[in-house]
Amino acid sequence: MSAVIETSGLGRQYRRKWALRDCTLAIPEGHVVGLVGPNGAGKTTLLRLAAGMLAPTCGAITVLGDRPGAGPAELAQIGFVAQDTPVYVRMTVADHLRLGGWLNPGWDDALARQRIGQLGLDSKQRAGSLSGGQRAQLALTLALAKRPGLLILDEPLASLDPLARREFLQVLMEAVAAQGLSVVLSSHLVADLQRVCDYLIVLVASRVQIAGEVSDLLDSHHRLSGPLREPRSLPASQKVITESHTDKQSRLLIRTDEPVLDPSWTVKPISLEDLVLAYMSPVGNNAPAKPQALRVVS
Amino acid sequence: MIRLSLLQLRAQAITAAVAVSAFAVLLAATGPHLASMYAASGLHGCRPANCSQLASNFLQQVDSTGPYATVSPLSIALIAFTPAVIGLFWGAPLIARELETGTFDLAWSQSVTRTRWLAVKLAVGGLAAMTITEALSLLFTWWAAPLNRAVGQGGSGNSLAMNQFNPLAFATHGITPLGYAAFAFALGVTVGAVIRHTGPAMAVTLAIFAAVQIAMPLWIRPNLLPASHTTSTITDDTPSSLRRTDSPHIITYTLAAGGLPGQPEAWIQSSGATDTKGHPVSTVLPSACSAARGSGSSEDLAKCLTSQGIRLGVTYQPASRYWPLQGAETGIFLVLSLVLIGYCFRRISRLP
Repeated sequence: MSAVIETSGLGRQYRRKWALRDCTLAIPEGHVVGLVGPNGAGKTTLLRLAAGMLAPTCGAITVLGDRPGAGPAELAQIGFVAQDTPVYVRMTVADHLRLGGWLNPGWDDALARQRIGQLGLDSKQRAGSLSGGQRAQLALTLALAKRPGLLILDEPLASLDPLARREFLQVLMEAVAAQGLSVVLSSHLVADLQRVCDYLIVLVASRVQIAGEVSDLLDSHHRLSGPLREPRSLPASQKVITESHTDKQSRLLIRTDEPVLDPSWTVKPISLEDLVLAYMSPVGNNAPAKPQALRVVS
Repeated sequence: MIRLSLLQLRAQAITAAVAVSAFAVLLAATGPHLASMYAASGLHGCRPANCSQLASNFLQQVDSTGPYATVSPLSIALIAFTPAVIGLFWGAPLIARELETGTFDLAWSQSVTRTRWLAVKLAVGGLAAMTITEALSLLFTWWAAPLNRAVGQGGSGNSLAMNQFNPLAFATHGITPLGYAAFAFALGVTVGAVIRHTGPAMAVTLAIFAAVQIAMPLWIRPNLLPASHTTSTITDDTPSSLRRTDSPHIITYTLAAGGLPGQPEAWIQSSGATDTKGHPVSTVLPSACSAARGSGSSEDLAKCLTSQGIRLGVTYQPASRYWPLQGAETGIFLVLSLVLIGYCFRRISRLP
């Protein structure tokens, strides 16, 4: 499996503050990858580095085998939709499509026009008068019509209302199905990610807490509840992610590739949202010495 | 990328085209009459003896006729301010506005490197800035040709009689407008890239450009080329070297050259009392000439000063230095522009 984004020891410093530090990861090709993590985890910095919009302070990053942003060919490989989906407010929708055609050798004008038509956008309308959802759609159209191998979306849903979010993701999924591209998108909205992503990365403080195909992650994580029990007494194949205990009961979130056979446990599946929250909690995947209540990070 | 630059400059380009056209119409409407006044003045083919008088008469006539006394300073102001306006409204927002509105994410994630993006933007904007400013300058030079010819023929005595080295004239004629336009534009872009906010960048650009526009004629231009020196006998002729100013209680004499005989287009940088060898001497009146001063006759005083070995020393640039100075000043601005642009290219790869 080849990687669309591969980093090693990647770091980026703004003045004195590190926005991303010692980040090593590999994102496989052919997936719609959800990148989640708390604020300040370095998601935006990582995506901007991958899009070639930023130069790394240290470490290395390759995107589709090349250094991102190295030249026109490398830029053409990546479709990037930045946070807040910026557009030129004084230029019309049609002007934006012309811009795309002028600046991208691989520009698919038919695709762009078809998409604008489907969205019902008036091509003579100024981009400044578009709604947030329409702006995001326009930015997505620009990114898709340049026919990239990888589409990078940084919090594309953040400023959209639920209906616009749904439409945006629908359009995205159709495009992915039609163009067969890889997508990496970051979001806080795990429920939305679950609709589109088949691969998930949880990034906390520049570190990958967990990465894998969504179905595998859901299959390998279980919620256990049963009589009070010391987590260390579990089989070696069961890794405790979070735990909470009362006087009589223990509730654990474990990761294992094998079936849970112990009949004293009640085993339940876990939702993707709970899984993400568990990995975002500061306790992380290191089982603590002392039992501790599950902290929910919003 | 060129087409995008043109598209994004469209609004400004329309404004500029309207302004240039309006200016051209104004000059075209008044220029021919000015030329006919010159033709009727008898200056064409005048004899050296009376040329200067005819030229002064002509300038006087122009000054008191129609709109010319207004059009001329207005045009000079327009040409002098155009580079500043371009630097403020084209230069400063070029990078700053992209950063401010976040559109750099859109612009720089297309299949065009930001180096190329900047190169094309600078080339299109810079060439447009230089073309517009120089077009205004050439239009005005055509319009003012009769006035400038009259000055060359020795005309003087009013505000229209502007020597070609006059700070206002020098910076608005010839090729210097090219240099000012390029510099103002590059300055605006650079300040915008450093400050990253359009408003403050415009203010700083204006402040720096105004300072440069003042510093250039005051301190830099006079030192670009070595000046010539000459000494002459003190007279009370016109252009007078010994000028008498009467006020109720005191009569003041000023020793200064108003012009060089036979060189009406030369640039007098400084003048004052010297000895016969051209070395500056004290400006305190020699005691021997107290009587002559007391008589109240400028002629007597001039004669006395001359007999005391005092001459009028003039430091000047001959008219032939006009184009070398124009070239030097324009060159300085173009080099400064290139330095600023070089910095912009270094900076843009590290933005935001």
